[in-house]
Amino acid sequence: MSELTPKERLLRVLRKEPVDRPPVICTGGMMNAAIVEIMKSTGHTLPEAHFDAARMAELAQDVQAATSFENIGVPFCMTVEAELLGSSIDHGTLECEPKIAREVFPSTGTVAFGDVDQMVRSGRIQVVIDAAHRLARNNPNVPVIASLTGPVSTAASIVDPMTFFKELRKNPAGAHRVLDYVTRLLAAFAERLLKDNGAGAIAVGDPSATGEILGPAMFEEYALRYLNQLIDRVHELGFPIIVHICGDVKRVRPLLAQLRCDALSTDAMVNLVQLKTDFPHVTTMGNLSTFALQWKEPESIGAMARQLVAQGIDIISPACGLSTSTRLDNIRAMTSAVKDGGV
Amino acid sequence: MTNQTLSDSPADLYQSLSDAVVGMDEDGVRALANAAVERGVDAYTAIDRGLVDGMSRAGVLFETEEYFIPELLICADAMYAGLDVLRPHIKRASTRARQRVVIGVVEGDTHDIGKNLVKIMLDASGFEVIDLGRDVPPQRFVDEAVAHGAEVIALSTLMTTTMDAMAEVVTLLRDAGLRDRFRVVVGGGPISQKFSERIGADGYSPSAPGAVKLVKQLAGEAA
Repeated sequence: MSELTPKERLLRVLRKEPVDRPPVICTGGMMNAAIVEIMKSTGHTLPEAHFDAARMAELAQDVQAATSFENIGVPFCMTVEAELLGSSIDHGTLECEPKIAREVFPSTGTVAFGDVDQMVRSGRIQVVIDAAHRLARNNPNVPVIASLTGPVSTAASIVDPMTFFKELRKNPAGAHRVLDYVTRLLAAFAERLLKDNGAGAIAVGDPSATGEILGPAMFEEYALRYLNQLIDRVHELGFPIIVHICGDVKRVRPLLAQLRCDALSTDAMVNLVQLKTDFPHVTTMGNLSTFALQWKEPESIGAMARQLVAQGIDIISPACGLSTSTRLDNIRAMTSAVKDGGV
Repeated sequence: MTNQTLSDSPADLYQSLSDAVVGMDEDGVRALANAAVERGVDAYTAIDRGLVDGMSRAGVLFETEEYFIPELLICADAMYAGLDVLRPHIKRASTRARQRVVIGVVEGDTHDIGKNLVKIMLDASGFEVIDLGRDVPPQRFVDEAVAHGAEVIALSTLMTTTMDAMAEVVTLLRDAGLRDRFRVVVGGGPISQKFSERIGADGYSPSAPGAVKLVKQLAGEAA
């Protein structure tokens, strides 16, 4: 099995088939490795690469080459969907990722519903699709992972989040209408990425959908339901999908096992070995501390990565969003430890 | 949900106000607050033993994970509805100078819920909160804290890359010879106790109720 390409290895793991060793990946989106050190050395920089397919593809390729992660990930932020849906975006800088400057709707009742099939052919969604297309064409053996912002986070990026979180309880019908709408948009986005443009897998990060924020009842009613709706659509298209859940997950552990995704990625404080023991059918992904990647030395990063491999974690990856000031030598220590066991 | 009758004692009214806040019953709180005004109940006591008590019970439910963000925000709306009615009726003599906290997000987006929760709960705990909003430059924290005579500066961030700006606030205070005048507390997704110690802050809390306890303790030391 030493002949496996990175793409075959990842796809096999996501199908629960045996592999020689776990892949080491970084999905893009919330969890992207476009660190300042790489951008400064290549000159392919953010924020420009957020808005131009060729530049986005170049940067994604640079990141893969410099880090040796076994995938290519696009985009480099979590604002693509919300911007298309009308929210205004602060485009960020070399060091700081874009963020929502203002939500377009004050409440769920004021949301204007567009035609999602039209929308996914415009704006930065089209930029991401074009970038994925170029990358897939030029990298047949490396999986291109396209990262989407999860339903709850997208909804809370187009409706004022303070109001939105209250409406989850006070106006469930309104909240469901908006979540169904953004989930349909995400599914249409995924379909374009996967069907004709070469992305090999979808990753979803939904940082507003945590057990700590929503509690178990609302996590089940909203996060689980719409994530599964998106997962099912990606499966209908015949592709795998990874879900990242932020936070300590302790209040929603049994619900995580009901996510129908092909791999479940968690933050550093989650014991993935325990999660595997409790839910043997879950393919685990994670969870090397991003704090460690920023602050520790390559030797300890190598040891942490080797420990994750020894623990039988199925896919090795950073635990959360990386700081853009993360050290490249630390990321390389992580990838080489997984690949060769070395530092 | 309110079954307040004129025969109830003020103590019963306070209890009903408190219950309505915990029960997320904004209309009920407003009706009870109006009833309190009509009956000439002391507004300050009604706020303290009714609204604030209710919000602090909601905070306990949040800490014990029976309530989550949506519930806590709805309780806060109920509390503020009651405050709108009762505050104009506070007699001057019963107000006392409130300690001040300057709070803001160093760099973040609209998901600055943590900061908003801390603000709400500090409000409910009797602090005067000066909210600088988000994307606040380090120098502004210092300037506003001085201008308002604050005891505490509370910093939050959502972005790992801007954690340096938190350290800068501490440095600016030190360089200006103001470090001892203010207590600095930090919080937010990427922040940890270790980070707080690294930058020389006075405290860190991973949760909103914890942050309020921390501020109370530190403001007590500063006073």
